[in-house]
Amino acid sequence: MNNNYEVAIIGGGIIGMATAYYLSKKGIKLVVIEKGYIGSGSTGRCIGGIRQQFSNHTTIHLMKQNIELFSQMEDEFGFNVEFYRGGYLLLAHEKKMEQEFIENIKIQRKEKINVSLLSPDDIKKLVPHINTDGIISGAFCPDDGQAFPFAVLRGYKKIITENRGDFLLRKEVVKLNKNKIFSITLEDGTKIEAEKVLLSTGPWTRELGEKVGLDLPLYAERHEAMITERMPKFFEPMIVDYRSDGCYFHQLINGQVIGCYTPVPNVPGIREDASFEFLPNIAWRMTRLVPSLKNASVLRHWGGCYTMTPDGNPVLDESEIEGLYVASGMSGHGFMFGPAMGKHLSKFIVEGKWGMDFKDFSINRSFKINSEHLK
Amino acid sequence: MKEKVIVCRCEDVTEDEIVEAIQSGATTLEELKRILRVGMGPCQGRTCGPILVSLLARELNKNPKEIEQWNKRPPLKPVHMKIFVEE
Repeated sequence: MNNNYEVAIIGGGIIGMATAYYLSKKGIKLVVIEKGYIGSGSTGRCIGGIRQQFSNHTTIHLMKQNIELFSQMEDEFGFNVEFYRGGYLLLAHEKKMEQEFIENIKIQRKEKINVSLLSPDDIKKLVPHINTDGIISGAFCPDDGQAFPFAVLRGYKKIITENRGDFLLRKEVVKLNKNKIFSITLEDGTKIEAEKVLLSTGPWTRELGEKVGLDLPLYAERHEAMITERMPKFFEPMIVDYRSDGCYFHQLINGQVIGCYTPVPNVPGIREDASFEFLPNIAWRMTRLVPSLKNASVLRHWGGCYTMTPDGNPVLDESEIEGLYVASGMSGHGFMFGPAMGKHLSKFIVEGKWGMDFKDFSINRSFKINSEHLK
Repeated sequence: MKEKVIVCRCEDVTEDEIVEAIQSGATTLEELKRILRVGMGPCQGRTCGPILVSLLARELNKNPKEIEQWNKRPPLKPVHMKIFVEE
């Protein structure tokens, strides 16, 4: 293997792989460097939801494109990535939350998202198993959905390989510096030279950035998830309960129910362990909403990282070091953001200009703390 | 015609599919699990685990002892949610 590349992508999760996929289609000579295996970080630990119901124009615009890209993957890869539009149902238990939904729906409709506010009766029709006690309304978009993260990564890997992109797996980057071009040293001593480098290493991006003097406002948090055995399909949408003791879960097309909750207070740090309190908590939260889940068996539970920024929006930009790009801080939305983000980023890396306005994701923005719920 | 040998009974995965995944680059149980869902069903790999180890060892020309164990995920055996909820 000749170790000179036009672009070196560090991090083989959804963001790095999507970017590599689109770069490889443009004939760029590239390598993906990954310290584990493809998808061993946050992408492989996520539950695969894809939604357009956001409150920020840039994100909504990006997610519209993502839904389109996910729907084309089966044709591009030659196999099914389990993309399915079951919708996303966001629940309001308080007037304040409902008001936020109403505001967001106005923004989303401007972007032509098919979203509406449902009454508890409508919600019961949509999900007959739901317990509507305390629910005052719900925001629903039927075009949101899900896909299988590993199938998506496998598809990208297949096409990148066909396009002669290289992979260096199970090798951690120990040195990164720039002297006209970038030189990267891996733990086994392998040296790589690249004209441009992308850091798409999720929670590990901050410490990699420090190697070249970047101070990135990225913070890892531990989240957890669980999955049940397969059951006949009995509800369609991802159900999101925004209460501080809420949760979110959906049924995969193979019948398994997969769910998470956002811990309050958060659990900081790069941690992928599983806690003792998670299963009793998630079981209580999920069965409060869908009591029939009491008879479902939990097969497995695991931990993984969100990479947060102070305002809950990602960092997607070229850094102050020319030719060094950063795509991280997805704040729990990396998988759903990935395809369109990779497409835009590949264009930016090659042509030096963005195909849409990403100033909300700029590396130099003020990062004002954002307390709204749909971040 | 070669017989289909089911290795993972929970997820219906055959020996041929596993060998193909190894030949296309998977070198560990964790990767096989993610490509094929082997060991992710109700038995959580208690049935197929040792067979997968021997297939990996055979295809990669390694001693089975050199094959890394996969992550053990709680609760190990399927547990009804009501066990956590009801007093």
